[in-house]
Formats: sequence, structure tokens, C-alpha cells
Amino acid sequence: MSGDHGSSVISAHVREVEALLEERGLLDDGEIDRRIDEFAAGGSPANGARVVARAWVDPGFAERLLADANAALPEVGLSMSGGLQEQRLKVVANSATEHHVVVCTLCSCYPIALLGPSPSWYKSEAYRSRVVRDPRGVLREFGVELPAATRISVWDASAESRYMVVPRRPEGTEALSEDALAGLVSRKGLIGTALV
Amino acid sequence: MARVNDVGGMAGFPPIVEEPDEPRFHSDWEAHVFALNGALIRRGVYNLDEFRDAIERMPPQEYLASSYYEKWFTAITTLLVEKGVATAEELAVPDDHTH
Amino acid sequence: MTTRTERFAPGDRVRTRSVDPAGHTRLPRYARGAVGLVVEPAGAHPLADDRARGVAGAAQTVYHVQFAAADLFGAGDHTVTVELWEHYLTPVEEQA
Repeated sequence: MSGDHGSSVISAHVREVEALLEERGLLDDGEIDRRIDEFAAGGSPANGARVVARAWVDPGFAERLLADANAALPEVGLSMSGGLQEQRLKVVANSATEHHVVVCTLCSCYPIALLGPSPSWYKSEAYRSRVVRDPRGVLREFGVELPAATRISVWDASAESRYMVVPRRPEGTEALSEDALAGLVSRKGLIGTALV
Repeated sequence: MARVNDVGGMAGFPPIVEEPDEPRFHSDWEAHVFALNGALIRRGVYNLDEFRDAIERMPPQEYLASSYYEKWFTAITTLLVEKGVATAEELAVPDDHTH
Repeated sequence: MTTRTERFAPGDRVRTRSVDPAGHTRLPRYARGAVGLVVEPAGAHPLADDRARGVAGAAQTVYHVQFAAADLFGAGDHTVTVELWEHYLTPVEEQA
């Protein structure tokens, strides 16, 4: 299944299927390459980081974001419409008393149009099986040790909504610009498996 | 009946492994599979739920042994046969001359 | 987005179906037959179970439903919020 040999076999197989579909009029010449380029130019975790930084510096935006993320995203020049269809985004914010973490137990749903492709661990059975059952243990494996009093909320992206976490703003960042704040936010922070 | 993809709450999977500086795709063919699926869904050859269903119908041992985009490619070829776009023979793995 | 009447409101207690369907479903096994709290409606879409069979049913409301981990797994102090189609849910009468 894996390794260079397996990879070259499946690579040839994929190309044959593409050729067959072109022959049957179900793919246009160059369409695959065009789609790959479009996708590469699309979502990235930097988008999520920008949203978070704005929410940190602008409480009004944070409020609008949590109430209706799709309506608030255009304020930072973003939207959820880059994929196959516009998806509903639900944004949840960590606080001193509550920590959110996102999973898709049934497959791998993720706000890909906004954040780009998800990391492999997010798609793994290991993460999907355990985080709903033992989020504290999973977070510990990611190096996140939460106080026992912090409530943990797990969100299973089981239907049409996609989710993003607003991490807590780190202490001592009052002087940082919005851009510099965005630079602090990681992809794991947006999923909830890192503090920021 | 519950399918192999429905893993929430299950025990026994290996530890979670993070890949530092993970690329968007690990090989060119993965990007092709990703784009191919989008193209077929946009054309209405099948819908996203039929695609998920086709992944879930994989034999459990095959599902668990396949990489993410191997699952996708299996589902795509399954649906192309079921939708009458091509025959299973036409979509068979190409001859492997290295053996 | 939609003018349909929503069967459930935030705060309603609902029970998920315990049916083990033959085909595709978006009600995870761990959340079957469980009682949770409706957080909010989250739009309306045709049931995924139908779409996976190539059937285009009418759109119905999906809800964010929050479960206590202890009610799902018998242990845990966290909550799990699952997004569920109305079809998967029945009302739980308040106990007197």
C-alpha cells in the first residue's frame, strides 16, 4: 500500500482513470491541474489566525463572530464559500473556564475552504476515536495540560457545520499589533489541540 | 449496521502521531485524487454523501490498511462503476511490469 | 435562510434514535439512544442518509445537541456536541 513502488502503481492508476474520464467527456483537458492550483491558492491556517487576531483586538467583532461566523468573516475579507458549497461555520471561544476541541468522528469534516487541508492526525482513527471519549488525555498527549476545573467541550462535525476555535489571547501580548498576534496562532490552536 | 468509519469512542487505535511541517499532499497523485473527486461531484456524477458512503462500505480490513487518499481513490472507482461510467475491468489496476 | 418550523428549541431535551441503520448515517454510534440538550438549530439540509442513496429529500432542520460524556460513555466530565438532523431526534418529556 505504501512505499515508492505502491505509490508509483497508484500514481499510474490515477492517471489512467483520468485519461478514461477525459475520453468520456467527464473531465476537461487541464482541469485537474487547474483545480490543484486553485486549491493551493485557497484556504490556509493563516486565514484562521487573522480571524482570531481580529477577535482578540475587537470585542465587537468577536461577538459577531461567535453569533454568526459566516456573516462576520467578510469583515476580514474571508468567506466559507470556496469549497463545493458555502458551509456554515460555527466559531467557539476558549475562556478561563472552558476549552473547546473539534473532531469529525465519522470522516474528516474540516473548514477546508477557510483553513486549507487538515493535518493527518486530525483524519486518523486514533484522534477521531479517542478525543470524544477522553479529550483530557488526548490534549495531554498534545502537551496541553488543562486545570482540572476547566470544562472541556468537544464538537463533533457530524453534519453540515464546520468549526473553528478562538484560543485565549496569551498574557503579555497587549502591545502586539494585529498582524503580530495572528503570527502567534497555530493550526492546532484553531482545532483546539494547542492553547494558541 | 455500524460501519468501520464510525470510530468515535472506540479503543485500541495506536497513539496519535503528528507530522512536523506536513505538506498539503504527500505525493502528486494525492492532489490528483483530491481534484478528481471535486470535479466528479461538481459534474453531478455522484454527490458528497454517496462518496462518503462508498468509503464507509470498504471492507474494514481494507479501510484500516489504506491511507486517506487511497480510501478516496477506492471510493471514486467504486462509484464510477456503480454509476455506469466505466466497467470494473476498465478501472482495474494497470498491469504491473515490475514483478 | 428557511421559513420552516423547527420542531425543537434551544434547551429542549431530546433523545436520539437507537436504530442501527443499514446504510450511511450521520448519527454516530456513540450518540445513539442518548439524551441531550438542544443548543441551537443550525440550518436545514436534506437528510444525509437519503442523499447517500441518491434520494433528494426535503430539507429538514439540523441541531447542535450537547451530551454529557457520562451519558454517552458512563464516564467523563466533558460534553460532546453533535450536529444532528431532526429525523434522528425525539422529544423527551420533562419529568414532573
